[in-house]
Amino acid sequence: MKVHVDGISLDLPAGTSAIDAVFQAGKDVPYFCAHPYLSPVGACRMCLIESGSPRKNPDGSFIMEGEGDAATPKIFWFPKPMAACTMMATEGMQIKTAATSEIVAKSQAGMMEFTLLNHPLDCPTCDKGGACELQDRAFEYGYGASRFGFDRRHAEKHYPLSDYVILDQERCIHCKRCVRYFEEVPGQEVLDFIERGSHTFIDTAEGGLPVGFQGNITDICPVGALLDNVARFRGRNWEYDHTHTTCTLCPVGCSITVDARNGSLERIVAGENREVNEAWICDAGRFGHVFASENRLTTPMIRNEDGELVAATWDQAVDAIRAGMAGLDAHDLAIFLNADSTLEEGIAAEAFVGLTGLASVDYWPRQATYGTDAPTLTEIAQSDGVVVLGADLGEEAPILELRILEMLRGGILPAEFHHGTAIADLRLVERPARKREKLAVISSKPSRLSEQAGFSAQMDAATALAGLTGSSDNAAVSAAANLLKTAERPILVLGAEALASLSGAARSALQTLTQRTKTRILALPAGANARGLASLNLVPRSGGLRYDQLSQARVALISRLNPLAEGQSRPRFLISHDTHLTATALQADVILPAVTNYEKRGITVNLEGRLLPLRPAALKNGEAADFIRALSIVAEALEIKTSIRGIRSAQNLLSERLGVNVAELPIHGLIAPLGMRYDAPAAPYTPLLWKEGMKRSDPVYHAGMIELPMASTPTFVAGDD
Amino acid sequence: MTQAQTASLVHYFADKQPLVADIFSRYPNSPQGKRSALMPLLREVQDAEGFVHESRLAEIAALCGTTPTEVRSVMSFYSTYHTLPTGKYHLQVCSTLMCALSGSDELWDYLVETLDVQPGEVTPDGYFSLQKVECLGSCGTAPVMQLNDEGYYESVTRARCDHLLQAMRLGSALAVDHHPVPVVVAEDGRQYLSSGEAAGGSTDALYPLPHQAAANGNPS
Repeated sequence: MKVHVDGISLDLPAGTSAIDAVFQAGKDVPYFCAHPYLSPVGACRMCLIESGSPRKNPDGSFIMEGEGDAATPKIFWFPKPMAACTMMATEGMQIKTAATSEIVAKSQAGMMEFTLLNHPLDCPTCDKGGACELQDRAFEYGYGASRFGFDRRHAEKHYPLSDYVILDQERCIHCKRCVRYFEEVPGQEVLDFIERGSHTFIDTAEGGLPVGFQGNITDICPVGALLDNVARFRGRNWEYDHTHTTCTLCPVGCSITVDARNGSLERIVAGENREVNEAWICDAGRFGHVFASENRLTTPMIRNEDGELVAATWDQAVDAIRAGMAGLDAHDLAIFLNADSTLEEGIAAEAFVGLTGLASVDYWPRQATYGTDAPTLTEIAQSDGVVVLGADLGEEAPILELRILEMLRGGILPAEFHHGTAIADLRLVERPARKREKLAVISSKPSRLSEQAGFSAQMDAATALAGLTGSSDNAAVSAAANLLKTAERPILVLGAEALASLSGAARSALQTLTQRTKTRILALPAGANARGLASLNLVPRSGGLRYDQLSQARVALISRLNPLAEGQSRPRFLISHDTHLTATALQADVILPAVTNYEKRGITVNLEGRLLPLRPAALKNGEAADFIRALSIVAEALEIKTSIRGIRSAQNLLSERLGVNVAELPIHGLIAPLGMRYDAPAAPYTPLLWKEGMKRSDPVYHAGMIELPMASTPTFVAGDD
Repeated sequence: MTQAQTASLVHYFADKQPLVADIFSRYPNSPQGKRSALMPLLREVQDAEGFVHESRLAEIAALCGTTPTEVRSVMSFYSTYHTLPTGKYHLQVCSTLMCALSGSDELWDYLVETLDVQPGEVTPDGYFSLQKVECLGSCGTAPVMQLNDEGYYESVTRARCDHLLQAMRLGSALAVDHHPVPVVVAEDGRQYLSSGEAAGGSTDALYPLPHQAAANGNPS
């Protein structure tokens, strides 16, 4: 399909919107309401263009202009500028942007004047200042002056929609992005225009926004109307150090941008990764970052003669470990690391274990795994039958929930152009029809996803699994079994509950079922990098101790885990490598300060088996170091020479093993075979997304947050009465 | 009916299944069709209770398979739905230009003063509530006041207003005005007055003006 933009000829696929044609041509057009992952509605009227198409005679030939060979199809121009985001480009269409058309430039400037008619010019104090599309576009496309001299209309400022999202009604330009987002993405119609007309504002009658994915509306708001309450008034956009990295709170591995200011992590915004999280992140990922900058451990600590923990140097820590391990050797040491540790840290631990021959090594959370050929998130979004078994995705992998909901809407993935994801995919519609019969959710507790499913049942995973592989008199279970049987690309998602109940018999029955129905299995990893660590030999060797057997160890090195808070008792000598003074750290003999995953360089592996890079944000962490350093401190105390001493040697070893240059991984990640998996019996595990410390606790910090007078019955006035 | 009383009646439609079925039968039996029943359900509640209480929003939302937010969004578009209790006589004063020029502001001030109510309030005796509305479309007889959904009082002067209020205070509103304005358009395009009398000519009698006919032949 040939389309001409400002005289540039393009060859575009049918169905492309005019706005994407303009961007594909390398031209620019301002827009506020269009968004790559939301339906185009043409609400803001900024993306105006002039356009015209050739027209045909009744006999099918083009209406021509000119004489003889010089004749060309006559272009019939629309009599007025059109919104490019809702118009489909058609064969032979001519498009003129503000660059070549006086009319378009004037219309856009006029539209900008209208948009700014009541928009407060509080750019110096608005938190969106510096990241505000309206500000930028007013500068580029506005008149620079207004003919409306009267006072601006005033509406409520600092109106809390929830604990996390503050609405400034004055600044809202009614682009409807947030309304469409809630309707189309998480399927929760909780926001809408109230009092449509000249006093329209956004509000909810539900008494608040549902926790889960509400934070995304603060990203997509093109002005400063919806702001992130956790990050509000903590920095200006240009003061932040932006670090594009990967979130490691759950195994999805969403792309995020970590914004730090003066060494403090102030804000997290979603990054775009079409294959993983598209443009969305969950609320825990967005708002649960406060622990990274609150009450951090910044130096090693050792226990003195009085039994008190005191700050020490690394040399003193080495001495303390040496003294504590007098009479013991490396075989008495148990190493336990968090399952969100990077592959580099994992391989360093593996090398250390290989060198010393110690038997007690484990990562936590760890659970039984199943299958090696996990479907990708995109394949799940485009599946035609998904069964979720024994999983609460809201706790285990929230973004997977959104991709499954995307499947219910037909799994339409926006096209890709030179400029990135299609800005206005015309196949996306408002209030999309959802094929709920393609989803079955069976779990012991109702979850957010089960409300959206065509079939749902509450039963324990073992019974459900038996019903799924055999026969069941429960309607939902037999519907789920039928779904797997009849779907062409069926996918079964197994959560923690299901994996815990996967005994020998159930496992082989499941194997038979998957072979018969060609079902692909996604077994949710327990931790952010549990999938990656499973490919390293980090499970207890024969005679070794598991994480839940910690109490029996003589000496333990525990990295960023808190077993003592979970009811375990301490071993004789305890070395804690942690970011905070946890219950475990408080009882440790030696504490080594750790870095959070926001400050690490390394690789994490998500639930699809995709290698994703972690990049270090500029956070103030004193002498905090990663697990590789902690291991080398212990090695030094034991007078062992480890082969992996730092990130570079770890990455060299990893690159060799995986056949991928892991030091230069693309930000969007890469699926690579991870090799064999190491498995061992594991303790039961209940996933929990929001962990201690992820909400602001410091009273001083807390005072900075707007407290919610969230009335149980919201004030509620409409119309003129 | 007070708000507390209303809130205590949990389900308005619980004992009105035939009515609900009748309303839903007017729309396609699909999720989209079900949502279309939102307006008649709102109207039903408002006619019965004088206003739509918040708890009714949730009830209607559940019936239509949508959310209270959407019901509120649709409802707030119309000034004819009330979210607060109205009096037995809900007086709506047109405040648009023609009425304003003919003294609707003075009428409004007079009503507010004499009845001692503000928008959103009801007089202690439960008789009166007030509302300003946009153009009622009777500019020729401004200022205009609408009584409930019953009709208009036109050319409401101070004396006429006193007279009307007096009657209402005694418990019976005077009949609304029936001016000969066209209200019904029949299929053939013929208009009928509110009295049932035919008005004007039918569309059969209409023909294109000569210059338009000429223009139709030459689209450029």
